[in-house]
Amino acid sequence: MHEVANTPRGRGILACIQCGRCSGSCPVARLVSEHNPRRLMEIIILGERNEVLNSQLPWYCLSCFTCLDRCPQGGDVAEVMFAIRNLAVREKNMPDGFAAQGKNLVETGRVVIPTGSIVRKREQIGLSKEHSTATEDVQKILKKTGFSELISSR
Amino acid sequence: MKYALYWGCLIPARELSYEVSVTKVMPAFGVELLKMEDTNCCAPFGIQSLDYTSWLALAARNLCIGEEMGVDIMTLCNDCYESLLMVNTTLKAHPEVRNQVNEILAEVGKEYKGKIDVKNMIDVLYDDVGVTKVKDAVTNPFTGLKVATQPGCHLTKPKRIHFGVRKFDALDELVMATGAETVNYERREMCCGGPLRGVNDELARDVARIKLVNMKNAGAECIVTVCPFCFLELDLGQLEIRRHFKEEYDLPVLHFAELLRMAMGMKLDDWEIKSHRTPLEPILKDQLKEE
Repeated sequence: MHEVANTPRGRGILACIQCGRCSGSCPVARLVSEHNPRRLMEIIILGERNEVLNSQLPWYCLSCFTCLDRCPQGGDVAEVMFAIRNLAVREKNMPDGFAAQGKNLVETGRVVIPTGSIVRKREQIGLSKEHSTATEDVQKILKKTGFSELISSR
Repeated sequence: MKYALYWGCLIPARELSYEVSVTKVMPAFGVELLKMEDTNCCAPFGIQSLDYTSWLALAARNLCIGEEMGVDIMTLCNDCYESLLMVNTTLKAHPEVRNQVNEILAEVGKEYKGKIDVKNMIDVLYDDVGVTKVKDAVTNPFTGLKVATQPGCHLTKPKRIHFGVRKFDALDELVMATGAETVNYERREMCCGGPLRGVNDELARDVARIKLVNMKNAGAECIVTVCPFCFLELDLGQLEIRRHFKEEYDLPVLHFAELLRMAMGMKLDDWEIKSHRTPLEPILKDQLKEE
């Protein structure tokens, strides 16, 4: 629990009283019973480190912030989800879609890149070919923060 | 009114009709949109999930460009908005985090000072331009059109940084200024499902379906959004839902900028109309007739 609480977005875990309002608010929990934010908070509190960090459930969070707005304790559940995902990727738990975004970012400075056809269409309708991107600056920043290594070591 | 316009990645790469509509609509209200050069990814939800510090530094670098230009930033995409707004709020409130970020930014010759604010296009239209002026600019009203609004999560939540309820109503009021009606549908504040793309596509589709069902039940004829992710999820998503569930919702999806543009008498080009996966024609009958 304290490992999570000591990360920048994880402090809210300390406030959790297991009331379950987050689960009741969660649009995903309504559809799939395995995704249960209260239960996830519970196993963090119980210190089940491996179970938490290897779970796919933190990746089911939409980051819609409904739970955060409704938590009676100001427990910031959605923020804790970010904290868990940050820890999970360091245990190589990173879904392909997220890894692809990270790879695009490292290579180009953007997560979505216009295709050749889009660039041609843009020119044809009088828009600039593309909006300029500071790719080198992004690469310097990501090297400094260790992000590039996180992606390449996956 | 001058703003540094932050386009983000998705709109210029996928939603050109939105981009064109913004450049046509905003200057008509005296909003001057200044070009931001050499920006970078805002570090949205997906990147934030991977690394906290990279998020802060990347968003802050964009904020520095706005500061150098001496004007507030206007965003169009909910994810860009959320990322830049949250980082701006955090760095203004916590000098120790700001120092840590500035150490990284020194590598690229930037320094975050905390001198500007971040707004969304809806803030600018609602707070700076005002609903009355928007209404006055409407020449081709969408009289009687029943609209389900989808402001999207990151325009309105978390409430502590967004004053959520007001902003929900802001979009509805702006839509009504175009002559349309808005329907009050169940679970209007719910996510579109988009962030689950790439993790569990079936689940993303199921979340979107709940929204479509509720919108349709409330009598909506179309959807108006401001977020490029909601746009894709609800527009493209309808094709997938038709394939999988054999259900037809036939709810065309428009960006608010597109709706306003047409209400101001500026038609969408043929390629723009066709860039919507769910056909727009049923709701454009009146607009197309005037040809």
